[in-house]
Amino acid sequence: MRYKILNHQADLKIKFFGKNKNDLFQNAMAGMQTALRPKLETKRKKIVRKIRIQSPDPESLLVDFLSEVNYLNEANNEAYKGLKFNKFSDTELEAELLGEKVESFGFVIKGVTYHNLEIRQKKNGKWEATVIFDI
Amino acid sequence: MKVPARIYASEKILEQTESEALEQVVNVATLPGIVKYSIAMPDIHTGYGFAIGGVAATALPDGVISPGGIGYDQNCGTRLLLSEVNESEIKPRLDELATEIQKEVPSGLGRGRKIKLSIGQIERVLEGGAKYLVEKGYGEKEDVENCESGGCLSEADASKVSEHAKNRGRDQVGTLGSGNHFLEIQRVEKILNPEIAKIFGLFENQIVIFIHTGSRGLGHQNCTDYLKIMMRAIPKYGIKLPDRELACVPLSSPEGQNFFKAMCAGANFAWANRQMIIYYARLAWKKIVGESKLKLLYDVAHNIAKIEEHEVDGKKIKLCVHRKGATRAFPPGHPEILEKYRSVGQPVLIPGSMGTASYVLAGTEKSKDAWHTVCHGAGRIMSRHEALRRVSGQDIVKKLADEGIIVKCRSKKGIAEEAPIAYKDIDEVVDVVQNAGLANKVARLKPLAVIKGE
Repeated sequence: MRYKILNHQADLKIKFFGKNKNDLFQNAMAGMQTALRPKLETKRKKIVRKIRIQSPDPESLLVDFLSEVNYLNEANNEAYKGLKFNKFSDTELEAELLGEKVESFGFVIKGVTYHNLEIRQKKNGKWEATVIFDI
Repeated sequence: MKVPARIYASEKILEQTESEALEQVVNVATLPGIVKYSIAMPDIHTGYGFAIGGVAATALPDGVISPGGIGYDQNCGTRLLLSEVNESEIKPRLDELATEIQKEVPSGLGRGRKIKLSIGQIERVLEGGAKYLVEKGYGEKEDVENCESGGCLSEADASKVSEHAKNRGRDQVGTLGSGNHFLEIQRVEKILNPEIAKIFGLFENQIVIFIHTGSRGLGHQNCTDYLKIMMRAIPKYGIKLPDRELACVPLSSPEGQNFFKAMCAGANFAWANRQMIIYYARLAWKKIVGESKLKLLYDVAHNIAKIEEHEVDGKKIKLCVHRKGATRAFPPGHPEILEKYRSVGQPVLIPGSMGTASYVLAGTEKSKDAWHTVCHGAGRIMSRHEALRRVSGQDIVKKLADEGIIVKCRSKKGIAEEAPIAYKDIDEVVDVVQNAGLANKVARLKPLAVIKGE
């Protein structure tokens, strides 16, 4: 399972999974994009966006990464389904996002929160993190 | 805790309130420079850092300012337009009017406005707010006079707002957003205080238009940007916090000053947004109803931090009052209230959940116990997932239609998520406000048409 949308009183809560942190971040973007309910344009033109993030710790990196993706979603009216990391560490990433233009989104993510956020490795070696998005 | 926590609630509302929200009220009580109480209104529910419905004042100059005490949607707020017509006059054309308004006022989700402002134009909006748009011909003089802070905070500095935030805002001036944001055509169901209602210009069965929206993506990005800055700045000021999301710095610090100026700019953007929405609503009104006027009663923020003078232990001091999901309610006689309302108190606008009632109230002297603040709405008690499980959007639309309420929306799923069962009872929430003496009920409003953007 890549991600699971959980119950939350007011906002959007998604639990992400990954076999390593890189995979976790991939699935975090995938889950977030699905949750936005994008309606793609019929033209289906492929788009590539490059991003570079530096943060003090892995949780901040995840929040800053998803926040940047959210910015690109809204500023460009695009949804992203492909992600290629050229650099990835606990405090830095460089990536290419592959996406398409959208006609509309189902709703708006106001912010990616730090609420109860912890990226942790389970006993079976898999990684998980739960992020709450203010909508 | 540096100060006590004070929660305005009935027994029933307290039972409905999750413990996490109450913990957040306690956490806020640890903020450096907090004065008297960490306060929560009866629509309290869990937020990020501050609970929604949270109020906290910190003493200048070194008390802190916290983006979490305002929220991502900077200057989310409401405005109410008053018409000269009553329900029976509008009824034959209500559906037409709702359709026309929905066409003129998009949600902006992917489809923003057709006009995309330049960065230069956005910067003028950030520093001029609603006032700038009225000067440009997108409103009337009273739209500025009857708006909190004249629709423009002069401390705004567009240079403190990031390029990311400005980019997000470029096609969003005049858009509603999603979730619980709306435009409703309502009628005044009941006048509850005839004396104040007369001064406000309200009469029974009057048609009014209620708008609830904020600063859209620009404000959201503004908050995200400064939360990031503050989290990295905290160690410099030796601030220890029980919750990362309470990230804050002294207001007098460079980061604090920059955030305040940026937040003021975000607030101005929201006022400009609501001004454009009423400009388009007035166009729709003129096309369908005719020449009769729509006048602004008031516009008030419910996610904002303001520098205000309050009396503390017999002395007047300047405070930074954070209102997060909480509405200012100045009392009779307050110099910041427009002269025509000054004898009765500031108009307060409280939207209910979809299809239920909204209220107009007036501020009171007693609300000084809560820094002249009241609730902002009903307060969510059920997740979107649970609401979707229990009701269908189709059923809600049908139920509202049976009650004579038209719903214009893109997504029925969005309607189900906003079902009234997901919220506290607005009548009970407003009763707490009245019974605590924080504000006086003036009128109860009922929706005739709910518009959620195209």
